[in-house]
Amino acid sequence: MSVFIASIGFGLVTAAVLALASVGFTLQFAVTNVLNLAYGGVMIVAAYAAYALNERGVNIWISAPAAILIGAVLSVLLNNLIYTPFGRRGTTPIAMVIVALGMTLILEFGTQALAGPTNVSYIMSQGATVKLGSIELTVVQLVIIGLSIVVMILVHGLIRYTRLGKAMRATAANRNLARNCGIRTDRVITVTWLISGALCGLAGLTFAMNSGTFGATSTDIFLVLILAAVFLGGPGEPYGAMLGALIIGLATEVSASIIVSDYKDVVAFVILLAMLTIRPTGLLGARA
Amino acid sequence: MVYYITTLLVYAGVDAIACLGLSQQFGVGGVTNFGFIIFQAAGAYVAGALSLPSDHVDGGFQSYILGWHLPFPFPWIGATVVGGLLAIPFALIVGKRIRGDFAAIGLLVTAVMFNLLVTNYVPLFNGAAGLSLVPSPLQGSFNPQSTGYQWGYGIVAILVAFATYLFVTRITESPYGRSLRAMRDNDTVADSLGKNVRSLRTSSLIIGGAIAGLSGGVLVGFINLWDPQAWGYAETVVLFAAVIIGGLGNHRGAMLGAVLVPVAFEEATRYIPPVPGNPNLIPALQWVVIGLLILVFLWFRPQGILPERRRKLATRFASEPGMQPGAMDSAPAPLADFAGPVTGPKPVGVTETEVTETETVGVGAADGQADAPPATSDVILECRDLVREFDGVRAVDGVSMAFQRGRLTGIIGPNGAGKSTVLAMLAGTLPSTSGQILFKGEDVTRLPAFRRARMGLVRTFQLASEFKRLTVLENLLTAIPDQEGDSFVGALRGRRRWGAQERELIDSAQAMLERFGLLGLADRYAGDLSGGQRRLVEIMRALMAQPAVLLLDEPMAGVHPRLAHDIGMQLVRLCEEGTTIVMVEHELSIMDEFCDPVYVLADGRVLAQGAMAALRAKEEVVEAYLVG
Repeated sequence: MSVFIASIGFGLVTAAVLALASVGFTLQFAVTNVLNLAYGGVMIVAAYAAYALNERGVNIWISAPAAILIGAVLSVLLNNLIYTPFGRRGTTPIAMVIVALGMTLILEFGTQALAGPTNVSYIMSQGATVKLGSIELTVVQLVIIGLSIVVMILVHGLIRYTRLGKAMRATAANRNLARNCGIRTDRVITVTWLISGALCGLAGLTFAMNSGTFGATSTDIFLVLILAAVFLGGPGEPYGAMLGALIIGLATEVSASIIVSDYKDVVAFVILLAMLTIRPTGLLGARA
Repeated sequence: MVYYITTLLVYAGVDAIACLGLSQQFGVGGVTNFGFIIFQAAGAYVAGALSLPSDHVDGGFQSYILGWHLPFPFPWIGATVVGGLLAIPFALIVGKRIRGDFAAIGLLVTAVMFNLLVTNYVPLFNGAAGLSLVPSPLQGSFNPQSTGYQWGYGIVAILVAFATYLFVTRITESPYGRSLRAMRDNDTVADSLGKNVRSLRTSSLIIGGAIAGLSGGVLVGFINLWDPQAWGYAETVVLFAAVIIGGLGNHRGAMLGAVLVPVAFEEATRYIPPVPGNPNLIPALQWVVIGLLILVFLWFRPQGILPERRRKLATRFASEPGMQPGAMDSAPAPLADFAGPVTGPKPVGVTETEVTETETVGVGAADGQADAPPATSDVILECRDLVREFDGVRAVDGVSMAFQRGRLTGIIGPNGAGKSTVLAMLAGTLPSTSGQILFKGEDVTRLPAFRRARMGLVRTFQLASEFKRLTVLENLLTAIPDQEGDSFVGALRGRRRWGAQERELIDSAQAMLERFGLLGLADRYAGDLSGGQRRLVEIMRALMAQPAVLLLDEPMAGVHPRLAHDIGMQLVRLCEEGTTIVMVEHELSIMDEFCDPVYVLADGRVLAQGAMAALRAKEEVVEAYLVG
């Protein structure tokens, strides 16, 4: 029983990282209708950017902005130099998936070519272990959870209460109509990719912290979890992605404690496949 | 060095086989199976486990299922069969109507998860370590290490690839292949023309899966080992890249792509000496280069190096007897009567000089029809209390209509009245929420669209729905029912089986083109035509199916008024010949001239019905139209 409850703690940490990643992913889909499968690649480049500083003796928390910045800049470049031009050419959604996978290869193996094939880890203290009943988490893990909650509240505020958020929702609902209403959709899209890219960078950083060691291709499986969370909540639905992240994070870790940890990601896979075949608009989504 | 060359030869063969499978499945059938690599992996595992002895024999250092120690051809056969069988559950996912990229992701993730499962579940195929010491074919009779054996294996691999090429080409160039390409271009329309899309997709998956399985079997017999590292998701990307770069829908392009991408960039570079101090640099850069290659090609040459060939059937048969204009009356084709003396081949819209004459005749004909309805006034198609809801909104709310044989019935109504929805439900493109549809006295409410089409209930679409990458002539040919070569078996039996019939069908299709004045465009891609021409192609295609009832969804929209008038004349003539036509149209003048009776829909209900002149006098009809 205590193993089960302890797994809820780990589930919350995974969910926290997953929420950062999934909300970014789903925002990109919302405004540009592109499934950015290179998301995991950007995450890992951001994680390595922080590592490059950390390796030279900079504290990882001070290096964190580097990861966020790289994630944001790289995402904007990815959209403006790759996805948007291809989209304008009338590239089919299938070809777009292949483009995104090609970008994944470039990002991940480019990183590997620079950083080498061996896994690395940040030089950092995990902090003291805090006990809450059977749940035992390190200070770092608690910080990740707290950080994620704060970011989710900020995202909520942005979408709900700002002009930019309103413009983002309008662009997501109908880009042409939004443009005709005087919204500068190109700018809205760029800003959205900047923000979602920052989330992606933060997700890469926290992912690397939480997993201890990481390599250039470590996010391949994690991308499956992101997709599962996004499709569970409905692609393009930020609140759906938050809910999806919570469910997937808990489901994978709790199932790891009940079954065998080798197969924990299979739960996410089954959920994703079920959502894709039965209800691709997600639990909260209405858009097809 | 010899080993290096023979290895490349085997890889070239194996990759060509796999790419041909993918080319058939994706390039021709349009089925995006991003889990393609699973089939190659399954073939390799099964071939390995079939040729290996029981896993206790080698001291049990590896564990796996099967272990039947079968002699040479059986592991390859097993690999092919398992590849095909594995495709069946996949058909359930791909058969679903979901966004193309969503389905692609589902299958990609499936590939990742299969890999994870095989890696972690050791008893199946020895987990992460994989199978090793897989026996080479015929290693009892030959020494697999010898140069001769190596060369022999390379040549066999190439020969198997060539045989695969002949096989997929035979399918692709048959009427069955034409149906597959039609499905690729637009599956909803293919469905409405009587193609069983689900069965076409399933067979595409099975054929591609079997070919991929075979490629795995050939590979594992040579490299003698197979582990999860060999079939990561990235390998699927490589194969897709190869087929796209080579040329989608062109099997020679697929083979070229196989040589260019997996062989040249993945395998040939494997032997570049490692950079001192960074042994992983070359393999990592190799993946970067493949990624760049994909982007560069999709940007600069998305159609590939060898684009899909345009099949110029009309040109090919033009020089042969029986193809000259004027000879089509005697063509022994199903449509001979239709193109015969009753109507005569009548060019539409092209010969401007005849227009005035046509118009006067037209008015007379329409009037005559209105005054004296055809003798056969029995009901051929009927719907009762038809309802369709979209997320709680009732787009169609209890519509009952009856269509009489040989009549040109019109349906009008303001935007959002539910006209197109009714038509789609009649044709079966859209399931009805409730209500009943009777066709030729049978209840067809639950029948899928393609079955209704085969019974003679064919529709056209409001939006352009030509098969873009089929020529105009091919578009017409697709619609003809009961073609001898339009099945997997028929395709395999070859041109000898279906060639003669094909010739007749081309004759009748050309007669149809002649009648509508589009013979000169027979070999053009339908996607390259103007809007009006595409509408004509669609109507001609529907007519090729020789429907008992033709459902037209705004056939005149966007068509030049004069051409629209000529189309109307052709439709009237068809009705005189016994075809029943139901036409949704916005243009009231067309209704005035050609349609009787006319149904008026508003807010999902039938507002009124009757002759157009009478309807124009009714106040509620005018109001609905003007206000709505």
